Amino acid sequence: MDKKSIIKALFLVAIEIAFFILFVAFMLTHHTGKTVAFLLLFIFLGILFKNWEKARLALVGLFEEMKILAAVVFILMLLAVPFVFQSSPYLIHICVMAGLYAVLALGLNFQLGSTNVVNFATAASYGIGAYTSALLAVHYHLSFWPGIVIGGSVASLFGLLLGIPCMKTKDYYLSLVTIAFGLIVYILLINFSWTGGPNGIPNIPPPSILGHSFREPINLFGYNLPFQSNYFYLIFIFVIGALFVAYRLHHSRVGLTWNAIREDEIAARCQGIDVTWYKILAFCIDAFFGGVAGTVYAHYIGFISPENFAFIVSVVVVTMVILGGMDNVFGVVIGAILLTVLPEKFRAFEDLRLLIYGIIVVTMLMFRPQGLFPQKLRVYKRLK
Amino acid sequence: MMNGLLLGCTYTLIAIGFNLFFGALNVVHFSHGDVCILGAFVILILYSLAKFLGLLTTISPIVYVPVLILLAMTVTGFLGVFFERTVIKPFRYAPLLMVLVATVALGIVIREAVRLSFPHGSNPQIFPRVLPQKSFTLGGVLFRVDNLIIFGITLFLISSMFLFIKRTRMGAAIRAVSQDGEAAMMMGINMDRTVAATFLLGSAVGAVAGILIGAYNNIIRFDMGLMGGVKGFSAAVVGGLGNVYGAIIGGLILGFVETFAAAFIPGGTPYTDVFAFLVVIFFLIFRPSGILGEKVYEKV
Repeated sequence: MDKKSIIKALFLVAIEIAFFILFVAFMLTHHTGKTVAFLLLFIFLGILFKNWEKARLALVGLFEEMKILAAVVFILMLLAVPFVFQSSPYLIHICVMAGLYAVLALGLNFQLGSTNVVNFATAASYGIGAYTSALLAVHYHLSFWPGIVIGGSVASLFGLLLGIPCMKTKDYYLSLVTIAFGLIVYILLINFSWTGGPNGIPNIPPPSILGHSFREPINLFGYNLPFQSNYFYLIFIFVIGALFVAYRLHHSRVGLTWNAIREDEIAARCQGIDVTWYKILAFCIDAFFGGVAGTVYAHYIGFISPENFAFIVSVVVVTMVILGGMDNVFGVVIGAILLTVLPEKFRAFEDLRLLIYGIIVVTMLMFRPQGLFPQKLRVYKRLK
Repeated sequence: MMNGLLLGCTYTLIAIGFNLFFGALNVVHFSHGDVCILGAFVILILYSLAKFLGLLTTISPIVYVPVLILLAMTVTGFLGVFFERTVIKPFRYAPLLMVLVATVALGIVIREAVRLSFPHGSNPQIFPRVLPQKSFTLGGVLFRVDNLIIFGITLFLISSMFLFIKRTRMGAAIRAVSQDGEAAMMMGINMDRTVAATFLLGSAVGAVAGILIGAYNNIIRFDMGLMGGVKGFSAAVVGGLGNVYGAIIGGLILGFVETFAAAFIPGGTPYTDVFAFLVVIFFLIFRPSGILGEKVYEKV
């Protein structure tokens, strides 16, 4: 390793740490004015990055070159988040919620982003997963770990069930079916007595691992981390897993097929693609992601009610996918994080939250329909 | 029976809007339900304003109720045109997905704006009793006067709409645009004006639906528009999207399904919406073009 590459590596680490410090400082401010100042700084950096061609190419090249180092440093910094925020559990809670939404958005991205299926039933699969696992845990004392798989699978089954009528329809009709499905699930959850009705299910036991309950704080290296950190690490693993699955799927034949269906369904069918099968697949995978996120949510909060899975949740997730950039796996995660963190930062305007979501969607669609981070076209290496 | 008819009337009025918009622009205006409920809120504001000015005591209800309804219709109609201009028009040549998501988002914006601009907006607002609360029996059947009035208003609105679409120049333009927008433009029809007219008409009729919902339940809540919109769209789909007669059939079917579900299925009252949606999904699977819709062939 020569001197030049060491300097480069140091430079890269410095950039990442600088960003991390900026992020932490942003999270720790409670003052609205300062938050706005930080946002303006971020926007300025973004514009600078976009317009300063030379620096951008250099930076992108640097990150490409030292991919592994960049990833390792990044992951290490994320793992350090609970240590940094140990005095304010609420910030860790926000991070956990951001992670949950990231999983949901990644799931929806298979449909909305890759396949152009506008599904408004994310909240339904989220809720089905949460309720399945919570009911099993409360009534049959099933532990969290099999609960994840069962919750995800049941949600996936319902995704299949929803997918069947959806195959017969398209466009507006399909969206109507998904909205109707979401409303049916919501109404049933409210009215069934065995789901606790409008009161929901209280006292869902937390997961535990090797005798360590997730509702207890972690004592590590003399640090006392609040109990939310358990879930932070848990959801961290899930987000990484979901990202991995999404990334691999996107770069596989399946992702390519979904894109083909998005571009032109009839043309895709003429190429011999089994459109029905691939669409159903998208439905099932989306529902599985939703179910898993729901399970984690149920055991994390310890209490669920139908209100957590109302139609509006689906719209919020759709917003995240659109804001982040449809079909762009990393963009979607950033969209989810932005839309979870920003409303918390502007708690003073809590009432306006949904209004702002709506306005964001409409303006984004008008002026930048491809999202903040548009997906680039695939580049395949030329065969030699 | 009467309930089913009334419910059917409101769904029909909402569905007419959906059909008009779909006919003219091939878009589904997912926030139409919210626009309709907006009509009820507009009349709420007008009513309080009139009360504040002391007009209600000096003028008899027979005069001020129709005036209020007409005013609310006009205001909501123009609001509908405004939404079309700001949110739907920019997407006229964009992929379908975008206008779909944009209108859903617009619905949220309307809902939240209503919630925020009313004191205690999250709670149900008491709707003024604009209709007389009397009833009489005829041949052993109990009739409520307000229900009869609701029924009469719907009949009147639907028939005058038909007359408008069949007999007037603007109506002919609307029909032409819904058949083929480009061809209509070549014939010298002003597309923008016609589309605006459709939205004016659809939203004004929808406002009446919102007012009827308010008058029937005696309360009005900001988020009623979501359910109303989905039901109205469902009615339009069951009847055949784009066909104005279909709206009536679809609306009545949905209304009766809900009423029968509540009446004949034991413990079915909380699940009426579920039955309605199941019927819609059933229709979408087996007859996607609706009862009166023409068969759609896919163009490559």
